[in-house]
Amino acid sequence: MKRVVISGAGLVTPIGAGREEFWRNLVAGQSGIAPVRSFDTSDYPVHIGAEVKEFDPARWVRNRDPESMGRGSQLAIAAARMALDDAGLSLSAFAPRRVGISMGTTSGEPGFVEKYNDIRKAEGLDALPGDLAPKYPCHVIPSNVAIELGLQGPCLMIPTACAAGNYAIGYGFDLIRTGRADLMLAGGADPFSRITYTGFARLGAIAPEKCQPFDRNRKGMVPGEGAAVLVLEPLEAALARGARIYAEVLGYGVSCDSHHMTAAHPQGDGAIRAMDMALRDSGRSPDEVDYISAHGTGTPTNDRIETIAVKTLFGSRAPQVPMSSIKSMLGHTMGAASAIEAVACALALHTGVIPPTINFTEPDPDADLDYVPNTARQTNPRLVLNNAYAFGGNNASLCLARFEGAA
Amino acid sequence: MTAPRIVATGAGVISTLGAGREQFEQNLYAGYAGIGPSQLFGEESITAEVRDFVPQTWLGTKGIRVLDRAARLLCVAAEMALSATGLKQPDHAEGDPQLGLVCGTMFGSVHSITSFDWSGQTEGVKYVNPMEFPNTVINSPAGQAAIKFKLRGVNSTISAGLASGLFAIHYAAEFLRFGRASALLAGGVEELCEESFVGFRKAGVLSPSGLSRPFQAGHDGMVLGEGSALLVVETEERARARGVTPLFEIAGFGSAHDAHAINAFHVRGQGAAAAMRQALEAAGVTPAEIGCVIAGAPGSPAADQMELHALKEVFGPRLAELPVSAPKAALGEAMGASGALLALCGAAALDRQCAPPTAGFTGGEAALRLSAQPQPFSGGAVLVNCFGCDGNNASLVLRRI
Repeated sequence: MKRVVISGAGLVTPIGAGREEFWRNLVAGQSGIAPVRSFDTSDYPVHIGAEVKEFDPARWVRNRDPESMGRGSQLAIAAARMALDDAGLSLSAFAPRRVGISMGTTSGEPGFVEKYNDIRKAEGLDALPGDLAPKYPCHVIPSNVAIELGLQGPCLMIPTACAAGNYAIGYGFDLIRTGRADLMLAGGADPFSRITYTGFARLGAIAPEKCQPFDRNRKGMVPGEGAAVLVLEPLEAALARGARIYAEVLGYGVSCDSHHMTAAHPQGDGAIRAMDMALRDSGRSPDEVDYISAHGTGTPTNDRIETIAVKTLFGSRAPQVPMSSIKSMLGHTMGAASAIEAVACALALHTGVIPPTINFTEPDPDADLDYVPNTARQTNPRLVLNNAYAFGGNNASLCLARFEGAA
Repeated sequence: MTAPRIVATGAGVISTLGAGREQFEQNLYAGYAGIGPSQLFGEESITAEVRDFVPQTWLGTKGIRVLDRAARLLCVAAEMALSATGLKQPDHAEGDPQLGLVCGTMFGSVHSITSFDWSGQTEGVKYVNPMEFPNTVINSPAGQAAIKFKLRGVNSTISAGLASGLFAIHYAAEFLRFGRASALLAGGVEELCEESFVGFRKAGVLSPSGLSRPFQAGHDGMVLGEGSALLVVETEERARARGVTPLFEIAGFGSAHDAHAINAFHVRGQGAAAAMRQALEAAGVTPAEIGCVIAGAPGSPAADQMELHALKEVFGPRLAELPVSAPKAALGEAMGASGALLALCGAAALDRQCAPPTAGFTGGEAALRLSAQPQPFSGGAVLVNCFGCDGNNASLVLRRI
């Protein structure tokens, strides 16, 4: 089995685009949360979101009309191009059938559902344009990237909601590990959507002012949007071309709570099993983990149960394992979230700095671990877990390690 | 280390050709086409739908109200598949953490998400029912099935357009090879709904004549279908250890993207040919060892033409003698469910050593051995194809045990 490394990262996020800008703002503790601009929120009880503010699709979608696809695809193409640039890779060096893409999403291209209903309301379904339906299904996101960049290998969307990015990275990792592909772009993408916003608002899950995971006064999550794509390749290939290696992917674990569509298992059963499976898949033990990127949405229940799960798996060592939630800055970027967080993990391993949980002012007796409050910290982590949980009771944990040479 | 053999030990299916493997195969081999007037959209619309669908027959009444049509179809297939293989978890049990579900789908929850948004746009967001929000996520059918059947292992939803079902079977096989599960339900689901039906009609891809005629003279588009099919896949070792007889081996998978256009089939079918070759190679099977081909051709001229080109490239002169079946003549284009439905056709062909009829075939593509009658063959492997209009192509080789 081949060893697999992350050698490039591209992102479009509420706190900036591209690896450098993203990381600079992340370790600075900058928030990307602001009043929602993409639709009128006056009928909603809440008004904040984590949108991507300045994004010019035409800069990235170069081979086709950017308007021929949805925002999810545009964000994904931008992230994919940035990732290849960051890796210093030219696709012409690869056999096209050996280069693939796997992406995750929660909603795919919900903008076309909104358009469908807007047309239905204003003019009736007879006015529906012919190109709407083929542009909607979520598999078009990786297909649009494949078409834009000429990727002719495996192409897959894994729409496992808010844990989807980790699933997609896991699939890409498996394809490289088993030698089925030479290069995989893997990540997640989700555009801001009034549908998602409505759903979380009606569940009463959106925080009114800020996202403050693990804080005693946390009031909820903040919906967001974005995309992240990682470049995965075999270690030997990365070494041969003298690539900059951010981290090694060691393994991943997935599980299902089989409990409730939206509420996590009260003892964190599935979350524990996903972390445990990721460590077993990696041949590592909980004792070696020295940073956890939390799912940490900022809802009272999620953060409490994730804390229980970590305490159960790590036992008395749990308080010594720093665990932060970058959703405090990025909001919840849905299917992109765990892909963005995987980039943050890789960069933490590469730079030695772990990003903070911002807006942390008052500890919660029910959540009493080290959440890296407010300030990034130099800890030189060697082994990290990236947690992601989703509707449907889906859980996925990814295990990454610092790359310390080929030996 | 030798890779473990991955086998299917059972299946559940609900489709326009009936419910359960037995009825499905009977109707398939009788040459019955499940295509006709729609109960969902009115008689003037022609579909390949699951008619007179009463999910309570299999699921009882408890907890069924919250499930949308896709979730109901998937749960019916899961109920049959689990019961057939002795994997159904007892009522009081916690559920098996090594038992999971990999579900292919194309439009996923489009009807639920559209209805949810419609409610917000017409009644106002204050009146939207939050209890309907969970059904809007694309993976909601798989999540609902996991809760209902206590499937605590991997719960993945897979979208690769019309090839979703084959990708899901491959994904499940990979999970078993890595030892991440002991048994998985793998296949797909698609519901017929106004959004996909009207959307595709507007896109001009549906057959104006209402006939599904893959590779036939006069083919003029596809007829939309729906349904769910799930295989139970496990390692041969585990199946035998628990005293279950494997039905067939999932021997090899291949996929390739044409990277060409989002809504057009590649004229020469290079990706389709590459997917078939990869699947053959992964299975360690030569084209000469393939007993029959289960074609993905949906009856739209461009798609049929592309598959024909690709088959010629892979099988060469032997194509003239190779039985080919195009089951979408009977099943319509069931989108995310197609791959698993076609895999079941392939399994039946392997078992009976006889290619299923192409329903209503009266002549057409001369280069292919198609027939409205069953075509006997002798061979240890069959090839199943699913090629999508977004350029994504997948093929699966099934092998006799």
